[in-house]
Amino acid sequence: MTRYDVIVVGAGPAGLSAAAEAAAAGARVAVFDENAKPGGQLFKQIHKFFGAKEHKAKIRGVNIGAELLAEAEGLGVTVFLNAPVMGLYKDREVLVRHADAVRRYKGDAVVVATGASENMLTFPGWTLPGVTGAGAAQTMMNINRVKPGHRVLMLGSGNVGLVVGFQLLQAGCELAAVVDAAPRVGGYGVHAAKLARTGVPFYLSHTVVRAEGTDRVTGVVVGQVDDTWNVIPGTEKRFDVDTICIAVGLSSSTQLLKMAGCALRDDGAGWLPVCADDGETSMARVYAAGDVSGIEEASSAMIEGRIAGAAAVRKLGFVTEEALAVRMAELESALESLRGGMFAPGRRGKIPDKTDEGLPISASLLSRGYLDDAEVDQYPGVKKTAGIRPVIECTQNIPCNPCRDACPKGCIKVEGGIVSLPVYDEKAGCAGCGLCVAACSGQSIFLVDDDTGGGAAEVTIPYEFLPLPGEGERGVALSRSGAALCPAEVVGVKQSPAYDKTALVTFRVPQEFAMKARFWRKEAVV
Amino acid sequence: MRLTNHPILGEAEARREVTFTFDGRAMTGFEGEPVAAALKAAGVVVHRYTKKNRSPRGVFCAIGRCTDCVMTVNGRPNVRTCVTPLEDGMAVATQYGAGEEAK
Amino acid sequence: MSVDRTRDFGGYVPAADDELVICRCEEVTKGEIRRAVRDGMFNVHEVRRFLRCGMGLCQGQTCARLVRAVVARELGVPPSALAEATGRAPARPTEMYVFANEEGLA
Repeated sequence: MTRYDVIVVGAGPAGLSAAAEAAAAGARVAVFDENAKPGGQLFKQIHKFFGAKEHKAKIRGVNIGAELLAEAEGLGVTVFLNAPVMGLYKDREVLVRHADAVRRYKGDAVVVATGASENMLTFPGWTLPGVTGAGAAQTMMNINRVKPGHRVLMLGSGNVGLVVGFQLLQAGCELAAVVDAAPRVGGYGVHAAKLARTGVPFYLSHTVVRAEGTDRVTGVVVGQVDDTWNVIPGTEKRFDVDTICIAVGLSSSTQLLKMAGCALRDDGAGWLPVCADDGETSMARVYAAGDVSGIEEASSAMIEGRIAGAAAVRKLGFVTEEALAVRMAELESALESLRGGMFAPGRRGKIPDKTDEGLPISASLLSRGYLDDAEVDQYPGVKKTAGIRPVIECTQNIPCNPCRDACPKGCIKVEGGIVSLPVYDEKAGCAGCGLCVAACSGQSIFLVDDDTGGGAAEVTIPYEFLPLPGEGERGVALSRSGAALCPAEVVGVKQSPAYDKTALVTFRVPQEFAMKARFWRKEAVV
Repeated sequence: MRLTNHPILGEAEARREVTFTFDGRAMTGFEGEPVAAALKAAGVVVHRYTKKNRSPRGVFCAIGRCTDCVMTVNGRPNVRTCVTPLEDGMAVATQYGAGEEAK
Repeated sequence: MSVDRTRDFGGYVPAADDELVICRCEEVTKGEIRRAVRDGMFNVHEVRRFLRCGMGLCQGQTCARLVRAVVARELGVPPSALAEATGRAPARPTEMYVFANEEGLA
């Protein structure tokens, strides 16, 4: 039996953070992970994260993962890979598989950071090859670099469904539709809008009736549901797809905690460990951090990991009570700010009618995935001024403020907490640098110049697809709903290390489309 | 099906190509990638037929949890192909039931 | 939480989606689970021992929630009223020879 001060189960965002925090205090730390590579799901998260600077906002998950791993290893943490933890027992004894043998370890403290697994939904044909979890698609394209399918239907409009849906487009797959039985888009409106403007239709209050195919998926039939979730006859629609992705929520992976005897509770959505504020479970010096203690974003998981790591090393006497108090105050305030807004963990599923500012939440955004053109002007990030200006189509209170930090002129204000809607301060004077466009994790900021002469306007959009258009290339401008509006010539394509792989594409349209055109597509073959 | 270039991940790094067989048919893949990824890239989606209903199954979770993608690899049944690294010369076969025929 | 075993839940009534596979590993259908409940398996443990759902290769990682939901619906209780099946090592599919090959033991 080998002893460590702290044993961490799971090398994802929470686990690595806990390990780094504990090792920084001088503890001897081992992390066990069943996978061949560390990072958990972080390396699959190729989008820019939300939050503020202290939460690593604006940085892509894949880069955060690399940073975190380097930090943990730099602090002397031993990360054991291909090392599934098979058992967690009384007195913090851990049974680990290494190749063809098992070995016992003992941790003076144990942090369980086993994450979550995907919930599934059953329908006729759900066992056919081609029906997968959304996570499987993400692993295939972002880790294995193989397209999960050619034409995909996404079942679930929470953030996982929306984010993976966008990643499918980035991988060159077609997204036939996003379907959700709920009447409203479950994830961030900005994530939905990114899909809608490329032409992806949303079918809310719809579910999968059946997957078609004998040896593999060849199609899917969806239908509208009534108030009792039954399909209304006659509403069925068929899509030609080879892949159906299921993204209907996550459940905490509590098996080890349960096995150890930690008290669990059912919060209505699934089993969760009963934890103190510092993550300690009902068993002394056994902590839970990250998704295993409640489903949230990876940003929160990293802070929870640090809280558990800090609490554990305090219990083991590596730091003083005073030092812990200082660190905890810092971490708890960071966590608090991430847990604000209308998608806060406690408010899940209950999107209010109005923003904190008293503005209406767009019904169109919630039911179709995009803002209605007529609604846009009422938000504080949208102001009609002469010359180039940012148009910030950020209309829900979500914890995020990189746009504010990005603007060198101080044009964008996010005041009174990071969930406030960004305000465009026209007096500061936009220089048209585009840093805010690239910084917006929700890709909801555009640059608009209503009058560039000759009755034309120019619109700049964030663009994360291949191939990049070239200057002078002709195509069509698409509306927020993805409908073709008018011919549009690309007049600028900007790339910069500061944009971190988000290209800025500027196209020219007739003036009347300046506040309508939000995407550009190469001329469709008629 | 291979993503050689990607707007965020960039060009795929060079990997060593190896040869393996799928039901006796020669195929190529990259060393160390999951067997399931090599099969997917080659257009194979049916990994096995179940014991009771003989119904086809393929990749479902891709992270080693669901065990739906198991196949007979080098004569050993129930190998989770989504987390098993591809090796040169591997013999990968469709699994029928619990892989009785492999024994 | 235990279910009142003296209560009469009525007999099994076939439903249109009885053929749906719930446990993918052991290929246990919704109809089989529904019938088992009507036959007196009043919780997840009993259904599992009776039908093997959740006892296949993946050890219930995919179907645990689904089975619980079917059982709960049949009993007319919320899923949260039913305890999960017992968690035991090994938490991942492991061949017996590996489990028996413990380092540091003579």
